[in-house]
Amino acid sequence: MSDVVVIGAGLAGLTAALRLARSGRSVMLVTKGPGGLQLSQGTLDILGYTPERVERPLEAVAAVASDHPYASIGADAVGAAVAWLAGALGPELLVGDPARNLHLPTAVGALRPTALAQPSMVAGDAIGGRSYAVVGVRQLKDFPADLVAGNLARSTAPDGGALAASAAWVDLPARPGEADPSPLTYARALDEEAFAARFARAVAAAAGPGDVVALPAVLGVRRSGVWRQVAEVVGRDVCEIPLPPPSVPGLRLYEALLALVRAAGVRIVTGSRIVGRTLEADAVASVTLAAAGGPRQLRADAFVYAPGGFESGALEVDSFGAISEPVFGLPLTATDAGPLIPATYWGPHPLFAVGVRTDAAGRPVDAAGAAVHPNLYVAGGLIAGAERWREKSGDGIAVATAVRAADHITGGTR
Amino acid sequence: MKRLETDVVVIGGGSTGLGVVRDAALRGYRAVLVERVDLGQGTTGRFHGLLHSGGRYVVSDPQSATECAEENAILRRIQSAAVEDTGGFFVTLPGDDPSYADQFLAGAAKTGVPATEISVAEALRREPRLHPGIQRAIEVADGSVDGWQLVWGAARSAMSHGAKVLTYHRVTHIEREGGRVSAVLCRDEKGGEDVRIECSFVLNCAGPWAGQIAAMAGAREVEVVAGRGIMIAMNHRIVNTVINRCVYPTDGDILVPVHTVSIIGTTDIHESDPDHLPIPRDEVQQMLDAGEAMIPGFRTARALHAWSGSRPLIKDDRVAAHDTRNMSRGMAVIDHSERDGLSGMLTIGGGKLTTYRLMAEHIVDAMGDQLGENRPCRTADEVIPGSEDRRLYAVTHRLEEREADRLDDPIVCECELMSRSMLVDALHAQPNATLDDLRRQLRLGMGPCQGGFCAARAAGIACSEQVADAERATGLLRLFLKHRWIGLWPILYGPQVRQTALDHWIFAGTLDVEHLPHPEQEVVR
Repeated sequence: MSDVVVIGAGLAGLTAALRLARSGRSVMLVTKGPGGLQLSQGTLDILGYTPERVERPLEAVAAVASDHPYASIGADAVGAAVAWLAGALGPELLVGDPARNLHLPTAVGALRPTALAQPSMVAGDAIGGRSYAVVGVRQLKDFPADLVAGNLARSTAPDGGALAASAAWVDLPARPGEADPSPLTYARALDEEAFAARFARAVAAAAGPGDVVALPAVLGVRRSGVWRQVAEVVGRDVCEIPLPPPSVPGLRLYEALLALVRAAGVRIVTGSRIVGRTLEADAVASVTLAAAGGPRQLRADAFVYAPGGFESGALEVDSFGAISEPVFGLPLTATDAGPLIPATYWGPHPLFAVGVRTDAAGRPVDAAGAAVHPNLYVAGGLIAGAERWREKSGDGIAVATAVRAADHITGGTR
Repeated sequence: MKRLETDVVVIGGGSTGLGVVRDAALRGYRAVLVERVDLGQGTTGRFHGLLHSGGRYVVSDPQSATECAEENAILRRIQSAAVEDTGGFFVTLPGDDPSYADQFLAGAAKTGVPATEISVAEALRREPRLHPGIQRAIEVADGSVDGWQLVWGAARSAMSHGAKVLTYHRVTHIEREGGRVSAVLCRDEKGGEDVRIECSFVLNCAGPWAGQIAAMAGAREVEVVAGRGIMIAMNHRIVNTVINRCVYPTDGDILVPVHTVSIIGTTDIHESDPDHLPIPRDEVQQMLDAGEAMIPGFRTARALHAWSGSRPLIKDDRVAAHDTRNMSRGMAVIDHSERDGLSGMLTIGGGKLTTYRLMAEHIVDAMGDQLGENRPCRTADEVIPGSEDRRLYAVTHRLEEREADRLDDPIVCECELMSRSMLVDALHAQPNATLDDLRRQLRLGMGPCQGGFCAARAAGIACSEQVADAERATGLLRLFLKHRWIGLWPILYGPQVRQTALDHWIFAGTLDVEHLPHPEQEVVR
């Protein structure tokens, strides 16, 4: 028996578990896998587009539509939640200002707005006049240095200034004889100082003109500060650019949060799915864990459900187009996917804004606005009202809704 | 304006046109093929991948049945690289009339289509996902065929005999001198140049667009009835044998294992515009029901992609214009000299991919008759480049190749096991190609992730190989994503929703492709 069972090990679940445990609650965290951070950028976005590019995210949060997940939380609480998590992780992992967006290059050379980023990334902030020396690694197929540099060079910084960029390549296998390494192969190799030194010398020799040397985000996964080592040898600022999954910066956040959660005393059950729940009156009495040897009931006073949305399979669409949340059977903002799937690719994809509507405490509500279960809270991507990837709001929503749920469970006492 | 001179201009880069240009070139004619987009981008690329045994037609269309059986055997011999020997079953589902199988067997015997009834237990042993309640099963020599490999193979064969194959050349006018065709005018859409091809003969193989081409020569209206059908590619090989429903040909009665997927098809709806073929949701549901009838649990399998193709049936007075199912699958040749007083041009309609070589033989024979020449057809005997080893395609070939080069060559498209070298070679051979053009030849982005991981890589490589600058590479990526979506949104359910969410996370979330500076002009080809 725990005070709280948290389901999900993405940013929302880990944040909720940490907040609850640090408030003295006994917490069990149950997850089917390593969560969504390994798919993320390793940044902490609050709001990037509305759909215009956002410079001041908290001001934009204050102006969201009434059905947006941020609307019932408010800009102050969102800013406080993000600041709290950033403080818990420390400046070796996240820096920046929740009130001001950075515009960081992506692995195709777009300028992506985000509020907080890893210190290895922030030198890439697209300020007018900045020039980038983009350096790719021949063996890494997900960092097309020529395309990144070409697109940066034809971009205008959000402040209206011009940008410049050059492209170069280093040819340095992380492991001999491996033609197709993943970003993690490099990150693990760069955790070793000797390889990092060789890598840095190769980058220094290859890099073209530019104030900031832009590299694929593989500069170490366990050892912090690899980027400083590289920057010192190169003699210029260095910025890491996140790659498609598996995301090394995302894994850094995941491992750090997991360590904090463990240190706070949270018991963690991995590799098992929650497949149902039992009720006592309206309250959730237990959730059903599909464990080896048969289902197990996990009882608690309160439950935080943070499984993600469509991307994790927490929301499903069947072959007839019916949308459902299969574990708790929660009411959703829409049940028919058909009309929500557009025929055109560019533009809104309303299906991905479907989810659970909550009350001000973060509890799922029915069509009448009443909480479905008095002790069930949701956090993160399951919540309706935002197309998180287009808006660049998923991290902020995860953190703010996780903190909201935790604080309501603890009565705000910390 | 650029000028070319040739004996015959073939219009249309589908299977008919490529079969014809190859046949003509092998007979020693100077031939030029023009295609408004890429090879196999029309009907040829939008079918279910079936290499007919002839079984489908043994009752409804005996002549087609015999032709299919003969051509099936020839293609296995001359174009093995495009053909997989899957075998096929005709199965009587619960509720279907079991006596149709007797008609089927009788028809097969009469038409020379090899067919053997096997026990239900044997059929279920070989295809365990089949409905356990099937009543009868007949084995036939169906296969699957890659339409793009087929046309590109024929193109290479034709070019090795001196033919020119010009893609992205849109016909704008057909000139006549008196009562005779004298030249075809085209627009080179990529080069931005007009091309005038003087010729003594035109073979109009434009399929559903044949009516538009005939009109350019001033011929009286040729009515082509577009019989549209939708197909859905399901993830994995749900079956390894072609499964046909043993009934009179109807909608949704075939499931074909092709490459790494299985394709269910198809419907047959009259359409007026071959450039706008919808994939209606009710037809998707109809296909899923049909799949469920053959394979219980079909609806829970993962649908990857859907498309819509158009059969080019020339209107036949014997049947009503809307009844495309019952028009002849056989070829129809319109001789414009009798009909329109225009000599030097034939328009071809109908036919099917399995018999593309035979159709070409008939067409070039007909041209020879008009020219008063009798050059013998050689296409059944000459092996097509790429098939010299006579080895039939197998789905495991790419795995075998990647096993061999895995220490030297990264994989760019993991779903379809496409290596970097394959892409780089194709980019340099066709530097003007779009990612979709390359996809048709390489299968880039055709697997479960639908380009989620490989599309940006391919654009990046095009940039690094200097076949595209960053602006064009970005345009190519945008165009590819836009085109993939056309076949995704109509079947977006089940695990493909999750995949699409992940792909959105990558393209919108991580890469922010939407906010790259847009090209001055959107890349469209």
